[in-house]
Amino acid sequence: MTILEAVRLLRTKKVSSVELTQLSLHRIARLNPRLNAFITVTEERALSRARQADEELARGIDRGLLHGLPVAVKDVFSTKGVRTTCGSKIFAGFVPERDAAVVERLEAGGAVIVGKTNMHELAFGVTSNNPHFGPVRNPWNLDRVAGGSSGGSGAAVAAGMVFMAMGSDTGGSIRIPASFCGVTGLKPTFGRVSRFGVMPLDFSLDHMGPLTRSVRDAAVALSVIAGYDARDETSSRDPVGNYLAEDNTSMRSVRVGVPTNYYFEKLDPAAERSVRQAAKVAGELGAEIVEVTVPDIAAINVIGRVILHAEAAALMEPYLRRREDFGPDVLALLDQGRLLAATDYVNAQRLRRLKLQEFIRLFADVDCLFTPTTPTAAPRLGQAWFEFEGEKEDVRLSSTRFVRAVNVIGFPAISVPCGLDADGMPLGLQIIGGPFQEALILRVASALETASGRLRLPEL
Amino acid sequence: MKNWRLIASGMNLGIPETNWELLAPVMDDLEAAFRPLISLIPFETEPAVIFQLFPHLP
Repeated sequence: MTILEAVRLLRTKKVSSVELTQLSLHRIARLNPRLNAFITVTEERALSRARQADEELARGIDRGLLHGLPVAVKDVFSTKGVRTTCGSKIFAGFVPERDAAVVERLEAGGAVIVGKTNMHELAFGVTSNNPHFGPVRNPWNLDRVAGGSSGGSGAAVAAGMVFMAMGSDTGGSIRIPASFCGVTGLKPTFGRVSRFGVMPLDFSLDHMGPLTRSVRDAAVALSVIAGYDARDETSSRDPVGNYLAEDNTSMRSVRVGVPTNYYFEKLDPAAERSVRQAAKVAGELGAEIVEVTVPDIAAINVIGRVILHAEAAALMEPYLRRREDFGPDVLALLDQGRLLAATDYVNAQRLRRLKLQEFIRLFADVDCLFTPTTPTAAPRLGQAWFEFEGEKEDVRLSSTRFVRAVNVIGFPAISVPCGLDADGMPLGLQIIGGPFQEALILRVASALETASGRLRLPEL
Repeated sequence: MKNWRLIASGMNLGIPETNWELLAPVMDDLEAAFRPLISLIPFETEPAVIFQLFPHLP
């Protein structure tokens, strides 16, 4: 069931918020021992909110499309009085005294938060194989990872535990689990959604966004969480768009760029086929398909790694004497950051400005880009390498190869399910839009979803 | 290539000897990919770091 389907049932009194919340909690209780998607379940708080939501609806108070619906937030979002671990041992006992801006907006919109989702430690990785809280498992195949770092959010949505789960994305951490779990994941433009109250990984690359079962649901969620927040210095005053426009079936006058370089190298042929098929469908729906040469994505990825490692290491510096409290993969990344020179960080930020200008020039010719989200479907738990044409590639570098650059330039991007690989595991299509063009990429993604049908999620 | 062990030692980073087998090649690769990009930066290019002053704040 999607958000919009649940809203209809709720408004016609065929179901109550308490019933939906109880269903969500029962499903979490039944499936979490297998999936490990949640670190904390806030049953009491959720049921109290659900009762309040029902009372309000009965009195004619309607807070919007998320009113009364069970949702979850990744365990990086501060929740007043509820521990917020960031998936780490370092913050395992941290109980915030305030809510994150996103949590405030969700609750002001009537959403019922049922818990905090599991994740890669410190949001610094792509597998959510968490050494402190256990690995998140993929609902499509329990031996596969759910992706990361917002793996618990991806698994929770794919398993039908909640209608929407919030994630954060510093180098692909919403889009990768969306791709691996067969759900929709939206990374908005930098500044579109407030970062206030979110435990940071990287000050200039962190983005907040929803994971949902449909594109329209992502549009609903963005409508609730988007907007200016004076408490986040990087928050934008650009007006919030209409993300739920009526016409979501046509792509007339949309110029879809399909890269001729980089994005179709070193990947599963099934991933390439599925993206090219999506471009074909877009063309049939009226889009103009334009072959484009994209800027040097490999270089942008390197720039992104220098920025990320340096900022994350600076952030975690006070804790790095407690080496035994970090997982080995995260510790290795933080050590990389500490070895970088200050001049490298400054030069990476200078290069970032140049690459942003190159992307802005590219978007004079296209409205959006179609690329694979990841080169492959989800790897197995514990898998360290992928092999492409006889060459080994680290799972982290491979999984972020097509998504990291979008964080460096701050443009919005959405990952939507786009077929299955030979093992029946989901693949993702990434649609990248121009700055603050969330409405456009949501419309394009929704048209594709309407034309191709929603991916049937696994029975659990 | 840089001597990462020496840099870490000089900075007293406390990185155990056993970590270098994996860490050094990763740093070498990152350095090899990043260093050539620096020569592409026009002199006047400013970094994209955001810093704002709000006149209404004390």
